[in-house]
Amino acid sequence: MNTISRSVVKKDHEPKIRGESVFVNDYTAAGDARPILTGKLLHASVARAKVLSVELPELPEGYCYVDARDVPGSNHVLMITWNDLPVFCDETVEYIGEAIGMVVGPDDQEVSRILGEIKVNYEPLDPVLDLREATEAVRERDFGYGDPEKAFAEADSVIEEEFETGYQEHAYLEPQGFMAEPEEDGKMFVHGSCQCAYSVQDAVVSVLGCKYRDVHVLQDVTGGGFGGKEAFPSLLASQVAVAAQKMKAPVRCVYDRKEDLAYSFKRHPSLCRYKMALKDGKVTAVDCDIRLNAGAYCTLSGLVLDRAAATAAGVYSFPNLHVHAAALKTNTVPNDAYRGFGGPQVIFAMERLMDHAAKTLGADEVAFRRQYLVKQGDRTVTEGRHHFPVPLPEMIDMLDAACGYWEKHAAYAKPQNGRFRRGIGMALARHGDGLTGTTERDLGFSIRLRKHPDGRVEVLAANAEIGQGTRTTFPKIVAHELGIPLEKVSYQHPDTGRVENSGPTSASRSLMIVGELLRRAAIRLREQWADGEEQEVRESYTEPDFVISFDLDKFRGDAFPTDSWSACAVEAEVDSFTGNTEILSAVGVFDVGTPVDENIVIGQMEGGFLQGLGYASMEQMAYDGTGRIRNNSFSDYLIPTAADVPKLKTLLHVEEYPDGPYGAKGAGEMPLVGAAAAYAAAVEQALGTDKHRLNRLPITVEDVMKELYREEESDGHDSI
Amino acid sequence: MKAIPESLREALALRADTNLVPYAGGTDLMVRGSSNAEYLFLGRVPELRRITADGETVRIGAAVTFTEALESDAVPALLKEAVSRIAAPAIRNAGTFGGNLSNGSTKADSAVALLAADARVRLQSLRGERILAIDEFCLAKGKRDLGEDELVTEILLPAGGLENYSFEKVGGRKALAISRVSFAGVFCADEGRITKAAAAFGAVSDSFLRFRELEARLIGKTIEEARELKPAYLKAYAEKLELKDGRVSAEYRRTVCLNLLKAFLEKFGV
Repeated sequence: MNTISRSVVKKDHEPKIRGESVFVNDYTAAGDARPILTGKLLHASVARAKVLSVELPELPEGYCYVDARDVPGSNHVLMITWNDLPVFCDETVEYIGEAIGMVVGPDDQEVSRILGEIKVNYEPLDPVLDLREATEAVRERDFGYGDPEKAFAEADSVIEEEFETGYQEHAYLEPQGFMAEPEEDGKMFVHGSCQCAYSVQDAVVSVLGCKYRDVHVLQDVTGGGFGGKEAFPSLLASQVAVAAQKMKAPVRCVYDRKEDLAYSFKRHPSLCRYKMALKDGKVTAVDCDIRLNAGAYCTLSGLVLDRAAATAAGVYSFPNLHVHAAALKTNTVPNDAYRGFGGPQVIFAMERLMDHAAKTLGADEVAFRRQYLVKQGDRTVTEGRHHFPVPLPEMIDMLDAACGYWEKHAAYAKPQNGRFRRGIGMALARHGDGLTGTTERDLGFSIRLRKHPDGRVEVLAANAEIGQGTRTTFPKIVAHELGIPLEKVSYQHPDTGRVENSGPTSASRSLMIVGELLRRAAIRLREQWADGEEQEVRESYTEPDFVISFDLDKFRGDAFPTDSWSACAVEAEVDSFTGNTEILSAVGVFDVGTPVDENIVIGQMEGGFLQGLGYASMEQMAYDGTGRIRNNSFSDYLIPTAADVPKLKTLLHVEEYPDGPYGAKGAGEMPLVGAAAAYAAAVEQALGTDKHRLNRLPITVEDVMKELYREEESDGHDSI
Repeated sequence: MKAIPESLREALALRADTNLVPYAGGTDLMVRGSSNAEYLFLGRVPELRRITADGETVRIGAAVTFTEALESDAVPALLKEAVSRIAAPAIRNAGTFGGNLSNGSTKADSAVALLAADARVRLQSLRGERILAIDEFCLAKGKRDLGEDELVTEILLPAGGLENYSFEKVGGRKALAISRVSFAGVFCADEGRITKAAAAFGAVSDSFLRFRELEARLIGKTIEEARELKPAYLKAYAEKLELKDGRVSAEYRRTVCLNLLKAFLEKFGV
């Protein structure tokens, strides 16, 4: 084991365990400071309508209503390059929950009372709610290689299936919250729960119509993100900044859990149609049609779609390929970043298709997969290269050694007629590391190290600690290179007023990309170290020489410099009387490169894997015929507890990446991506016959019962 | 106002004189979080915190927590199994039988087991006492036969005859899950003849369900006779089970209820 992998106590462990960390909702106005005003949002109650008027009750002194008319700059929230989402609605509302305005005042119960008395007059318009009926693409990709048309025309047979996945809600412990405070020097100080302080600054500057130097953004201690605090905080921060500007006072808005579950951005529901051409028992072509439900505004759907498209064929290389991918507008809450970022949906489709193709050919599911695994030097989906070794064959062997896959798979393949029936399934997945395409290079992200005269070193970067350990692993790298104790290196929560823009906390990039900048900077600082002096070293990203530059328009080249890989297996037991499924064991082998802290990485692997199993098995959220999400509480939106997967085992296979610190790659997202496909395969085997096709997530008890009874009816059994 | 009586008499007097909301564990009220309500805390009333048993009856005080019941030798295994499936340890450390029965839910896991066990509820007031069967007390969702001056003080369980039982809970996950279907069954036979075949269903309708008139069809029958009657018996249940759509569909609930009833009968040879 690399010495850097040795686990340490996380820097934020003590304050969080002791309850001393200050979250955005914990700030109180001390002494004679100005009171913090409460802002609460007026959310649209219809999916699509023209807003004719908003009737306000009489507002007591000190209370105010804020809406689009109060926005001094652009009324649209800048998110990377997209800016279609209004701060407060324009003439129409496009989804239930869209912000129409905000009531602001000193007493939160009074604010709630006022909010409850507001009457909004709508002229209803026809909403688009069904992804199958959606036609307006906010982003579309069409690409491929070889001659898939010819391959399909010449095929002996074609397998075509449809795959559907549902919402997933991030369910972070701390709901969305932001606060804006006008400062004495005229600047606006904006702070709250977020992953990307610099993205929030971009948005607020554009919304206030001011200069970058007029706004600084601090990431407060953040109680979990999982992608849910990547883009959404730019909206909430813009709203509180507008309100604070108008009130000339600090304004804070913290979502309650119901609001958060129903109106914050979620994982894209998807509908994929995959086709496979078979000739002489071999796959000759694959055609992927990917549709993501973008919701009412684009937000980051374009980027999520790009990653889905670039991951379309999973871990396989086929002679001919066609991919069509579209993110489509519906009048529902916008969907956005969530751990995996478009990957889980297409990996589910591809892995299920491989299972079913193997079944059709009478082949073993894993042996069938092995024939098509990508290898070092193979082209990627986007005709880039897999530049580095692909360790999947070894990882499959590790997985088998850890869970006895083949033995169990053979045992469970025998007929089972009792109440409880078992199955085991495997899935293979990849996750491209870092931002898609040339974004890292184009935006030129950077970091600085500041050495104080007393020898302490501070990391000045923008990546957010959201539980994944950034505040610990960044200093660890620097301390390691400088040969000084970890206590001498600190990394505070980023404030855009004093740190470099090292880019967003997303795409599993923080450790691999930013960590490497820190390592290089630390080496330079070591070389020029002068005792007793204040010193600074700055380092910027440069694209590695091997990268085949990505052409975004042609969607061709290296979408990612390298990949993380996973092989996971799930063993499940289905209760044929109730449709309930128990996960007997879940084992994952993950290649995320060198762990920069073993405990932190294992924590990520276990958490992500469990989150993926929740996505597969129980996390069900839907909107009704009016576009409203009704299960907006944790009694109705269930996520797994520790009791649900008592035997959860994660193993690491290390394939070092030369351009990541000590060989580290992206880790945060990988463990989630393949979990659902493995779960579905396990349940499908437990159901018994080869006829079953579990192609929809989550797999509910009712889905299982329908499959069981379909079988019994077709076998002529009594169905009591 | 808060009131913390230290004796049953004091508690009943407060109940008679005030509109306080009685509670002991507070696990459900805490979620509702009503800022205006005023409470009568029963957790320090010794009479409500005891588990006692004589040869005939096991008495569980209304303010006994689920954890205390799980640790008691006097509590029958059927009830322990039901209680062990409630929520999670922290909630079981606080939650009580009185609250689980009284809060108006038709998904209470203890209630469905108590219903199958022919348990009774003791209600007391300054005026006197009433003893009701579980389904006489739990009338419907949000509706309990409880006078404004009455408190649930004890659950009374038969001390014997609960050895042959089934308990099943279908929830959305393995802990902290509200039941989507719950089932409890108690079976007794004497000299080869069935003396009891109680089947109770929870979380599937606006009230807990038990059909004693259908159960009566099996009473006095031999196992062989019961087996012959089984198809008609299950069909009769299928017709009786008028269920509600909720977190899962009524159709799903019906299928599961019948499967669990069938499994219960099969477990005891029928």
